[in-house]
Amino acid sequence: MISFLGYVMRRALRNMKGNLFPNLTTIAVIGISLLIFLSFSLIAFNLTSLLKIWEEKFEVIAYLKRGTSLNEVEGLLKQVRQLDGVETVNYISPFDAMAFMESRLGRQKNLLEGIQPAILPSSIEIRLKKDYWGETKIDEVVAHLKRVSQIEEIQYGQEWIETFSVLVHLVRLTQWILGGLLLAAIIFIVSNTLQLTISSRREEIEAMQMVGANPAFIQVPFYIEGLIQGLLGAGMAMGLLFLLYKVVLITITPLMKGWMAGLPILFLPWETIAWMLSGGMVLGLFGSFVASMRFLRYGR
Amino acid sequence: MIQMFSVSKTYPSQITAISDLTLEVPAGEFIFIAGPSGSGKSSLLRILFGAEKPSSGEVIVNGIRLTHPSFKKVYQLRRTMGIISPDFKLLRDRNVRENIAFALEVTGHPPKEIREKVSETLRQIGLQEREKDSILSLSAGEQQRVAIARALVKGSSLILADEPTGILDDEMTGKVMEIFSERHQKGATIVFATQDANLIQRHPHRAIPLMAGKRGDGESSEEVISEE
Repeated sequence: MISFLGYVMRRALRNMKGNLFPNLTTIAVIGISLLIFLSFSLIAFNLTSLLKIWEEKFEVIAYLKRGTSLNEVEGLLKQVRQLDGVETVNYISPFDAMAFMESRLGRQKNLLEGIQPAILPSSIEIRLKKDYWGETKIDEVVAHLKRVSQIEEIQYGQEWIETFSVLVHLVRLTQWILGGLLLAAIIFIVSNTLQLTISSRREEIEAMQMVGANPAFIQVPFYIEGLIQGLLGAGMAMGLLFLLYKVVLITITPLMKGWMAGLPILFLPWETIAWMLSGGMVLGLFGSFVASMRFLRYGR
Repeated sequence: MIQMFSVSKTYPSQITAISDLTLEVPAGEFIFIAGPSGSGKSSLLRILFGAEKPSSGEVIVNGIRLTHPSFKKVYQLRRTMGIISPDFKLLRDRNVRENIAFALEVTGHPPKEIREKVSETLRQIGLQEREKDSILSLSAGEQQRVAIARALVKGSSLILADEPTGILDDEMTGKVMEIFSERHQKGATIVFATQDANLIQRHPHRAIPLMAGKRGDGESSEEVISEE
């Protein structure tokens, strides 16, 4: 068994060395195809993470009418806490609102000079229980809040989150449609490169078949060749994606960072990387299997 | 050993290579398949070693029914026989010894046994002086001898030889025929396709004349070959 494995590995590597250019071309094409697929995966992964974070931060903000006394606020907080679906309620005074704005503006906080906190409305931030994040349930809570006389305006980002969620789904859909097309292309390319290798070794294959070599003895080196091509292609795609990711991190503008409110741009998790490398190997293996079905069969 | 019943082979180009051929070769027989080129000798041999599927009829070799729908393991059939092809099918990137040893390596023989058997076959075929030489440095006749050695090294009980002496000189043809006769005397079945009428005359074995894929029974091999 060990000598068989040693033999097939040696032959696979000798085949690759003997057909270096077609092999490098195949690895590059697999790499580029997977890079396209992985880029979409990375975008979709980050958008999904963003969506999760936003969903977890989701809250309803109710702005209070001017002149609402602290006594009224206390009663109001008590009343809102008793509403179905409400998890936490926080009162944000005009001074808290001013402090928040100053913190967001950072070094440009002098823009707020001369502005009195009193011009800002006080508000309450209402965090809903997870079961209440659906549109219908939020509407129920908002309808209750609208009936409260001290509340002037209610803001919540549900509609925006839902639009964003559709965008995430679209990206995922594009990723898989593109993935399907690239998958077929990769199998076609690997199988054709191996066809070249097989043609260049036809004499050896025919000689083996003539003396009754086991089909596995003939085919396995080609399977290993496909496997190595797939692994190297996927590795190359992963490496290029990581470089692109680093370039994006370096070139991202402070303005965008501010817009993203400190949300991180993530690289693919280790499990996904492992899956992708294995996927590359399976693709290469499948391509070589297709080639061997077409060109490595005993006569008849 | 070999049984063929009403076998025909028509290629997709509509050329009929074998037509309604029935043939029985008992174990231990030396038989010539005689006929001019294009008479169907190579197609017949290719059917016997599983490289071609007959269009109709039944073929049984070494007890294996080649025409059975479930028959897929051509390699197992080939391990039971030694095959000599007119185009040699040698490995150009290996030397003489390695080419002969190859037949035993791929069937998993131990290295010591391979060394001994290859040395013995090299001696028989008269190529021991050239065992380290590259195949490319050999003449066509020498390459043919390597192909013969590769078929014989396994010591198979059935040898299918397609024009094995086609390009050898008289002296080497004589030597090769001696080796085949020796194998035959040890019990091997030999199917020898040739268009050399003199060779058939010199060796008193049964000869099946083939004419356009049909048995030319009633005609001698010499007549069939000279009718070309």
